[in-house]
Formats: sequence, structure tokens, C-alpha cells
Amino acid sequence: MANIAVQRIKREFKEVVKSDEAAKSMIHLDMGSSENMMELTGTISGPPDTPYAGGTYILDIRIPETYPFNPPKVKFNTKIWHPNISSATGAICLDILKDQWAAAMTLRTVLLSLQALLASPEPDDPQDAVVAKQFKENPDIFFQTATHWTQAYAKGSTPVPEYSDKVTQLMGMGFEEHKARVALSNNNWNVECATENLLS
Amino acid sequence: MPKDVDSDILCFLRKSENGLLEIGYTVRKVASSQPLVSEKISFEVFGSEYSDEDLIYIHKLEDLKKRYTCVRRTRGDGNCFYRAFGFSYFERLLQDKKELQRFTDVAKSTRDDLIKLGFPEFTIDDFHENFMEVVGKLESEFTLTELTDTFNDQGLSDYLIVYLRLIVSGFLQKEAEFYTNFIEGDRSIKEFCNQEVEPMGKESDHIHIIALTNALGVPVRVEYMDRGEGDQCNHHDFPDGSKPGVILLYRPGHYDILYT
Repeated sequence: MANIAVQRIKREFKEVVKSDEAAKSMIHLDMGSSENMMELTGTISGPPDTPYAGGTYILDIRIPETYPFNPPKVKFNTKIWHPNISSATGAICLDILKDQWAAAMTLRTVLLSLQALLASPEPDDPQDAVVAKQFKENPDIFFQTATHWTQAYAKGSTPVPEYSDKVTQLMGMGFEEHKARVALSNNNWNVECATENLLS
Repeated sequence: MPKDVDSDILCFLRKSENGLLEIGYTVRKVASSQPLVSEKISFEVFGSEYSDEDLIYIHKLEDLKKRYTCVRRTRGDGNCFYRAFGFSYFERLLQDKKELQRFTDVAKSTRDDLIKLGFPEFTIDDFHENFMEVVGKLESEFTLTELTDTFNDQGLSDYLIVYLRLIVSGFLQKEAEFYTNFIEGDRSIKEFCNQEVEPMGKESDHIHIIALTNALGVPVRVEYMDRGEGDQCNHHDFPDGSKPGVILLYRPGHYDILYT
């Protein structure tokens, strides 16, 4: 079984490297430090005209022994603010990574589907309930928060000065940067609520 | 039957000593240690999992015994229809070279149909070539033992299952205009195929059977052994009025292979 998985991954590796998308630097697949090809690192770039534009997202990919009959296990290593991705763990809610995986799909399909997911969130099928609620109820704040996270964690280049200032403000009070950012994001950037949240 | 279950509890009603109806049950083992496709087994062994008090099934077993000689079990992993169909038909092809020639031509043409529908060449070719390689071995290379071994090697066996699933998906999408009428809910044929046909472990319904038999031109008879009334199993031929070359036994959620 494992042999089928290894053979298949070797071929898929070449497919991604040679693909048009890789040529345009939209997706990338790396063997990382793993020699058995069962633990890979994927990279996707944030799609244009989204709050993730300009960002680079690293994905941890684990290939099960039963691949390609079962889906690869994928999670975001780069922190991201998105309704279908956990802001805490990077876990992804996407049908093809769960019960709609088919053996005819490939890692290239997965990377492109994740890129498509960044462009079209599905808040009705959320992985992160807080983000999904914000996406639906305060779309402007969601957009700005996601843009801010892109700059903070994914090498994005679009600053959101108001949000950066608030993070700095809380850091001045002695809170750790990431914890401060999470508390502010979770509380629609209300400094009082975020502080209360951090102290509770 | 859902994936990864270790046993499946069959409930039935029986009359207790004081005349009241009570619920009885038998546990059917479907451990993953069970072979993907078993050796031929007699109805005595096959029936031993049912309680003597489970009269509906006991009567239906007696009925099957009159018409069939034995059974091959398949593992209840959600792929049992494809595995039972594939094995039973390939077993027949070992004997029937004329049918093998016809099937080889049909199977070859499925590859281009799938590519035309937009399936990725990269993976389709892999599954198609592997499928054709096994079909090629049916000509003279394979003995029944080797066929059984192939179907019991999880990887090789699942490779064949994937391709049969792709054939069903391709056929339904090619004939989408007609089959869209049989899809429940407001799903498109493509969505149905993505959700209920292509993923491994998704169980098969009538629509899957109709698609596979039509796509390959291989008629199938299904004997239904369920809790319905009567002492006999009902059967259905796909398509209607055909002379089936593959006979399957259906018990709720599961398919096995029958032999005359």
C-alpha cells in the first residue's frame, strides 16, 4: 500500500513542478526535510483582489499510507483569518479534504482548491465560528482584519495602520503580540473588550 | 454500510414466550480482517450468522438454496458493489474469451470518454492503464487464484474500484440530461458524482448499478434478501429482461456474489 502512495507522490511532485501555475509562482510543492515523501510542504500565494493578496501561505501536507484512496491531511502553517480555516490551529474545512476526496484528484488539485477557497469563503460551512460571524455581520471589519493578518503573518504588504496601532497599544500594556491581535480580531477591534478578554 | 465499522447489528422482531413482540438481534462481523473477496462458501456457513428465530431470513435463505449453490462474501467497506461486480465479472471473463474481447474494446474506449468530460489525464491514465493491464491478464495469464489474490490485495483491488467508479461517473455525466431526473435534491449530476460516486467508500444505489451495467454492457441480476414480506427473495435484472452474467445478493447496505 505505502508503495503505491510513494510512487504516486513522486509522479505528482513532477506534475506540480511542471505546471503552469508553478511557473506563475501561484503554487509550489516542497519535499521539506522528509525523505520518505510522506510529509510535504505546500505554498500558495493569496489570490488578487482578496484580503490575502500579496500573502504567501505555507501548508503542512501529510500523505497517509492509503493515499490516493484517502485524502492528504492538510493544514495551514501560516496564520490566516478566514471563515473556513481555524485561526488557532490552521485546520481547514474543505469537502475534498474530507468526504469528497476522490483518487483521481492530486496535490495540484488540492493546492488550487485551497487557493480558490481563499477567494470564495463559505461562511455557512465554517471552521472558525468567530471569523464566520464577523464575515457575515461586519464584512468591512472582516476584510480589514484579514488584510492585517496577511501583513502580520504572510508577508503581505498592505498595512492597516489603525489595527497595527491597536496591537501596539495592547503590547504596551504588557500583552504578547499574537495574543493581543487575536483578542482584538475576536472583538471587532474594540480595545476595551479585547483587554477584558485578555485579562479574564 | 458505513466505512470502518467493525460489526453491524441486525435487528429483527420475534414473538416472545408471552406472545408479545420483542426485538432480537444478531451481530454480523465485518472486521477489516475479513477478506475483500472471500472463497466460495456454502449456504450452511453463510446462514450461520442468522438466529434460528430470525424466520424471515431463514425462509429467504431456503429460497436462495433452491436456485444457487454458494456465495462469495465481500468486505462491507462501502465499495462492496463494485468489488462484487468486478470480481464476479472478471471471473466469468476467465472462461468466456469472446466476451473478454468485447469487454476489452469497451473498456479501452472509456478512457477517451473520461478525458473528453474533463477528467485529468494525469490520474485517469494511471487508473486506466492499470485496469487494462489486469483485463489483459484475463486472456491467458491469470488463474482464478491469481485473480482472487489481486482482488484481495488492498492497493491493487482499490485501483480497480477507482476505475469502475470513474466509469460510472463518466457515464452519468455523459448521459446527464436523462439521469438528472433521478437525482434527489437539487444537486447537478456533476455534484452527485463528486459526492456519491467518485469518493471511495460511498455506497451504491440503483442509479450506480444502472450506470455501470449500461456503460459496460454487462447485465446484472440482484437478489434482494431483506425484511420485506414473503418467503422468497425478489430479484431485479439490470436492464429489465436481460440475461445476467453477474448475480449479486443484496442485504440491506451490502452486496455479495451468488453462484448458480
